[in-house]
Amino acid sequence: MAFQILLNIGLAIIWMLLRQDFSPVEFLIGYVVGLVLLYVLRRFLQFDFYFRRVIAIVKLIFLFLWELILANIDVIKIVLSPKLDIKPGIIAVPTKLKTDWEVTLLASLISLTPGTLSMNFSDDGKTIFVHSIDVPDKEAMIKQIHNSFEKAIMEVTQ
Amino acid sequence: MLELSLTIALIIMALSILVCFIRVVKGPTMSDRVVALDTVGITLIGIIGIVMIIQNTLAYADVILVIAILAFIGSVALAKFIEGGVVFDRDHN
Amino acid sequence: MTEIIISILILLGGFLSLLGAIGIVRFPDVYGRLHAATKSATLGVISIMLAVFLYFQFIEGVFSGKVLLTIVFVFLTAPVAGFMIARSAYNVGVELSDKSVQDDLKKAINKKGKKARS
Repeated sequence: MAFQILLNIGLAIIWMLLRQDFSPVEFLIGYVVGLVLLYVLRRFLQFDFYFRRVIAIVKLIFLFLWELILANIDVIKIVLSPKLDIKPGIIAVPTKLKTDWEVTLLASLISLTPGTLSMNFSDDGKTIFVHSIDVPDKEAMIKQIHNSFEKAIMEVTQ
Repeated sequence: MLELSLTIALIIMALSILVCFIRVVKGPTMSDRVVALDTVGITLIGIIGIVMIIQNTLAYADVILVIAILAFIGSVALAKFIEGGVVFDRDHN
Repeated sequence: MTEIIISILILLGGFLSLLGAIGIVRFPDVYGRLHAATKSATLGVISIMLAVFLYFQFIEGVFSGKVLLTIVFVFLTAPVAGFMIARSAYNVGVELSDKSVQDDLKKAINKKGKKARS
């Protein structure tokens, strides 16, 4: 992964030298050309094309923004409703993610979407305790977190 | 158009800081006050951002960064303080 | 055109900040208030800072990296601060409101305590 990025930057610098033009735009063009080269040659060089991960990261960001907007509208409805008709609660959400930083990323993303707030971890780091502002259905909420964020994070790391 | 919306936003944000202070004064527990103070800090960043546009200067960019850092450090330190009475835990067991 | 976008972003930011403040006053317990504080208010400030960045980029023609850095910083620190306050409040024993229907964390802590004693 790191080697591929280095190779790509190297190709971009060579492109800049060949074009005799050292502007950022030229570097960007060189980078894209190197990217295409790496994509075409991925079979022969025996490695996984790293840009797939970048696409997964972009997908994760857009998914996050979408959820952010949806959930914010939800919370606005709750705050502005005349009678505060909510059922808050703490839910234990099991997670399949392994390394520490994946779990941290998941917890931060949960915190930043309105309506849910990660509160604590279990000792083995396999369960996140999530405080939710409104829990009509516990299982549905756990399933939603699994299907949206956890799946997207797994796509980035694997 | 732009100036009108700037003024409206400035008034709204000043109001929201005032509303936050109700919770700071009233809050039954210490944690409530920490939450409200954290929000005051964050709203202050927004106010300075608007002032930057009104006065047409980039000089306050550093001020915003420092306030953001101070609000974060302050909240975390207060949270640790009400939990255990110590801000830095020296021995990891 | 740019001015209209900037105006909308600024008004949206002010509106969200006010919502956060109202939420802080209206919600029944600390955890509900944290929802309002760490999200509505943070999102409002981020949209205002985005407006500031757009203003200096397209109307004044100055690129300001510090403003972008502020957006990233606020985005990174808001969940951490909320998490720390929520955890410390729960450990100190601030109670959930009466409306709460679920408390899985209490069960987990009780189980752990029993295991430690036996």
